[in-house]
Amino acid sequence: MPPTIAELMRALPEESEALAEVALREPLAVAFRPVPVGRWRRLRLLASLQTRIAAAYLFYWVRSWFERADQKERLLAETHWKTALRLLDSMGYLRGAVMKVGQTLANFPDIVPREFVQTLERLHFDAPPMHWSLFREMVCNELGDDPENVFASFDKRAFAAASLGQVHRARLKTGEEVAVKIQYPGIARTIREDFRNFFLYLLPGRLNRDWQNTKEQFDDLRTRLERETDYSLEAAVQEKVRTLFREDDGIVVARVYPQYSTPRVLTMDRLDGVHVDEFMARSPSQDERNQFAAKMVHAWYRMLYAGRLSYADNHPGNFVLMDDGRLGVIDFGFMVAHSDDEWKLMHKVDRALTTGRPEDRIAVVKESCLITDESADAERLRLSEEFFDWTGGAHYRGGPFDFGDEADFRRGIDLFTEMVRKRYNRARPSMPAFARLNFGVRSMLYRLKAKFDVRPIAEEEVKATGWDRSAYA
Amino acid sequence: MRVTAETKAATRQRILEAARQLFATSGFEACTTRQIADAAGIATGTLFNYFATKEAVLASLAAEVVAGVHRDFEDRNSDQESFEEELFTFVAAGLRKLKPLRKQLPVLLETALNPLATAGDDDVPSLRLQHLETVARLTKRHGLGELSPVAVQLYWTLYTGLVTFWAQDRSPKQEDTLALLDESLAMFASWLQLQREDNPTKGGA
Repeated sequence: MPPTIAELMRALPEESEALAEVALREPLAVAFRPVPVGRWRRLRLLASLQTRIAAAYLFYWVRSWFERADQKERLLAETHWKTALRLLDSMGYLRGAVMKVGQTLANFPDIVPREFVQTLERLHFDAPPMHWSLFREMVCNELGDDPENVFASFDKRAFAAASLGQVHRARLKTGEEVAVKIQYPGIARTIREDFRNFFLYLLPGRLNRDWQNTKEQFDDLRTRLERETDYSLEAAVQEKVRTLFREDDGIVVARVYPQYSTPRVLTMDRLDGVHVDEFMARSPSQDERNQFAAKMVHAWYRMLYAGRLSYADNHPGNFVLMDDGRLGVIDFGFMVAHSDDEWKLMHKVDRALTTGRPEDRIAVVKESCLITDESADAERLRLSEEFFDWTGGAHYRGGPFDFGDEADFRRGIDLFTEMVRKRYNRARPSMPAFARLNFGVRSMLYRLKAKFDVRPIAEEEVKATGWDRSAYA
Repeated sequence: MRVTAETKAATRQRILEAARQLFATSGFEACTTRQIADAAGIATGTLFNYFATKEAVLASLAAEVVAGVHRDFEDRNSDQESFEEELFTFVAAGLRKLKPLRKQLPVLLETALNPLATAGDDDVPSLRLQHLETVARLTKRHGLGELSPVAVQLYWTLYTGLVTFWAQDRSPKQEDTLALLDESLAMFASWLQLQREDNPTKGGA
């Protein structure tokens, strides 16, 4: 059993007695703390989180003046760990959109400090669960009776916990082994409140000429996350995606049981296997890693080209390498369904990804990022086009691509950071969702240290669109 | 003609059943004692032999439905649950039973749920006393000692606040009430624990 956050905190050397006291006085040891749902309370907790992180690094900085050089590295690592633990603790506690931020940070291996990534990854699996009594009431509210009566058997201990809900193993009275995902009460409200709080952070930019566009992007992301709280929508998407895969694809999407599902409960077949990190811990061969990665890419392209859906929730908790070698894909809450307008743009993206010609790439970048021909936009165009190259280069260049190349992975993060720093954020409203998608995809392939050619997979899958591609040449 | 105890009990039960249905269909405010009496097949004056007011009818209904919850908690084996969790189970079980009367409950805040209520009506045990006795037993069983008057008042303030919130809760299936209950009880349990740590010799809050 992994240690609790409180045990990890205690195991670390303390920075000072004062800070130690602050750390231990907080209710870290309470495993089942309720999710705080008041807007101002969440804002205050977020603010105190920032203060504590700042304090940890300030203390490191001051203390390092008096340390020998060889001790500085250890001290910095300790500070990273401690700060990451605090982030984990607070984000796991706050849940909702705040926890999504933590999960996204964990998608930047080797970019964000290693200690952060390793610790925040636990948000994908180990967020503190609801206690059983609360869980039982939620099940009763939603399914009309206690879990012990609804199911043949029910494991009281959650085996996975994430930003919106937690998952329990169970068996139906008809014998099927299932996973039951249930949402924390009031989580939809916490997401709305988190977004109102995040919006406060954006307010200083309201005089910017792109303010209206920023708001549209922000609203798009908020709407998508709010939709994620309706499990009946997720169930419908999951069933649609399930039909896209055939037996011989080696890719499985769990079947939903509608009679045991509601907007707050989702019951589906259980997919047993290992997640990416457990798989990597077995030191798999390059070939095994490539196979795992290729299946993921197949799954992404199938959903995109055959289903007109982009899978935007790429993190290690959502992919399972099953014992029989098949890939299990779970969690369809954050999917981008392409409107007709976006689908036309996707056709143009396909053209650019197929030809790789600069003029095709630039046309797509201009349309996606709403870039005009004004000279003031030249730098914006250059950076955006480079970013497109980072996300699509492996596709249009073809041949084996080393997704485990740290320098290349870092290039994408640096480009994105530079665009944010220069406030080059004008884009179509769905762009934040696509940015999340792109980083998620690259992060998963980077974790697997995969080296393979994605182009043949894309070429095979794109046929499902029926697009006329003869004019590309 | 002499009215036997059985006849009295049966009439009382008819009144309660008629009230339960009328409250559910017409709402507490819109429903009159005359309508309840008519539905129960008795004269309006007879109803007042059993219940002094319409509120007393509601209090009896509420006391009746939650009585089972208190009995269940006497026989419960819950060694593995924390105080907070068991208290949550207790309160949530009561809310489940009271659900048909949810919107009417705030009416009782001035009577049966009133912080100053005692065993008022002859045959209507105070909802408050019943509830608090169970909470006190839970507190003791979990080694948190006797509940002080301050602890009782604090707990009851949280509980009546929750009931008021629940009556107005428009969230899907009143899930916000569950979140509020979870937060309130976590706060109360932490406070009790702190009180106990600060006054270990007193053996409780």
